[in-house]
Amino acid sequence: MKTDQTSTYAKAAPYLMLAPALAIILIFKIYPILSVFVKSFIRDGQFSLKTYYILSQDATFWNSLLTTLKMNVVMIPLQVILSIILALLVNLQLKGISVYRTLLYLPVTMAISVASITWRMMANYNSGVFNSILSATGIGRQGLFTDVHQALWFIVIMATWKGCGYWMMFILAGLKGVDTSIYESAKLDGAGYFKTLFSITLPMIKNSLLFVIVANTSANMLLFAPMQLITDGGPQNSTNVLMYEIYKSAFRNGNQSRAGALTSILLIIVLTVVILQFKLLNRDKEEENG
Amino acid sequence: MVKNNNPLTHVIQYIVLSILAIISMFPLIYIILASFRSNQELFTYALPFTIKTLIPQHWTLDNFIQIFVNMNFGRSILNTILVIAVLLPISLILSALGGFVFAFFNFTGKAFLFAICMISFMIPTDAIAVPLYNEISKMGLINTYWALILPDAASGLAMFLFTQFFKDIPKSLLEAARIDGASWLQVFRRIVLPLSVPVAITAGLMIFTNEWNNFFWPLLAARNENVRTIQVALAYFEDENQVFFSYIFAGSAISAIVPAIIFLSLQKYFVQGIASSGLKG
Repeated sequence: MKTDQTSTYAKAAPYLMLAPALAIILIFKIYPILSVFVKSFIRDGQFSLKTYYILSQDATFWNSLLTTLKMNVVMIPLQVILSIILALLVNLQLKGISVYRTLLYLPVTMAISVASITWRMMANYNSGVFNSILSATGIGRQGLFTDVHQALWFIVIMATWKGCGYWMMFILAGLKGVDTSIYESAKLDGAGYFKTLFSITLPMIKNSLLFVIVANTSANMLLFAPMQLITDGGPQNSTNVLMYEIYKSAFRNGNQSRAGALTSILLIIVLTVVILQFKLLNRDKEEENG
Repeated sequence: MVKNNNPLTHVIQYIVLSILAIISMFPLIYIILASFRSNQELFTYALPFTIKTLIPQHWTLDNFIQIFVNMNFGRSILNTILVIAVLLPISLILSALGGFVFAFFNFTGKAFLFAICMISFMIPTDAIAVPLYNEISKMGLINTYWALILPDAASGLAMFLFTQFFKDIPKSLLEAARIDGASWLQVFRRIVLPLSVPVAITAGLMIFTNEWNNFFWPLLAARNENVRTIQVALAYFEDENQVFFSYIFAGSAISAIVPAIIFLSLQKYFVQGIASSGLKG
């Protein structure tokens, strides 16, 4: 530690050990992101904004952007709040609580493709079990994924069912780290459950919450497997999110420049939202500390 | 939070938890039960809703026999296992090394490099599938196992978990070993790695589940039958002739049950691994 601190070897050591992982990330993640961004400004070998200009005139693009925002404005808060509730529940000191924790996590271990394919069969109008149940409850059978007003929200339900267990675990990990004696003293001070929750518990697990909010945002903004496997963006484009529009541009219509521009737009939106979330949540933290 | 010993509260808590658990488990249980029924039976008992809608009336293994014998499902499982067997150790070691560096070293550009690694895990491969496909294609790796292994050979999420975990290891422990003349790699192998079993299990579990469930990227980059992984094979079920719902349920049941069982047997370490990773508050 002392002798070779200044030697070339000691200086190079961290870079050398980091190099393999960094190389993989640079080559297979960062380079593709940059290349798609740069290429979206190039047409016939020259710098051009034409791809973006064409997009700005494209009603399908605006519709898919709106659908993406509509879906996420509901889905992200829904999942974050539900995950907090679930985490609080599985943090209760009850016998067999770890069994419940595991059961609630299991949907996470299922592939999104399998979830999509099976949910589509289960939502089938004639033979799907969801419609059997709806019919038995008196609500009557529903179009679900095939109804223009229901499809997007049924995808939200499916994604929430599939995703919440994952975010729950990260919040639970945060809750496990909170010193329980804080709760006791809050109780002695006469603070009620919700007062304790909002003024002590949630601020204490701010790092976990920030991680969950940010990671949840990027995961949901980029969600498109259900659209690809269940609704094909329909009915009537009602589930045609931006990510699915990219997929169709690139792999069905072979329009690489459009797909590239769309990818750039989507990634910039995600990045902006994530940076805003960081700023907002970290500002709160500084205010508390100061 | 606060311990509440009112028995009525406990009963309500159990009821709420049980309802949530049933909602959570219902699709999985339905899929497994459906995989033991004939396709015709699935339709026959759909309406009205009775217990027969859920429970097989004539249990059969026919769906499983069909997908393994006639649809080459076994090959896709082998392909998946092969990819994971190569990927998992590489990804774990590279990510752990990265975490080790970020936790114990100070060097120029550290914050910037850490940010790059974090961005990489916020942006899933699916989102950059278009440019990545062009890149892998130029390398001539489409329809090879490498197309699946290389892009995931270092995991930003695993690196993050390792970094947070390693920060709790006292530095003096490492310094003592360094004074005894151990190289950094020896310190990593002999001191750091043995301590990191819970976080390695957590990261490994995430890498395994990700790869087993990986669908969109393999569908693009490795759709050839020789290298096709399990999720791609399942997606192809539907394109082939004479494929019944019941076959898809059988394939889905296998796909879902494997990570579920692995998670169930390691779940104790999993929570511990995340909890010890510094996402504590």
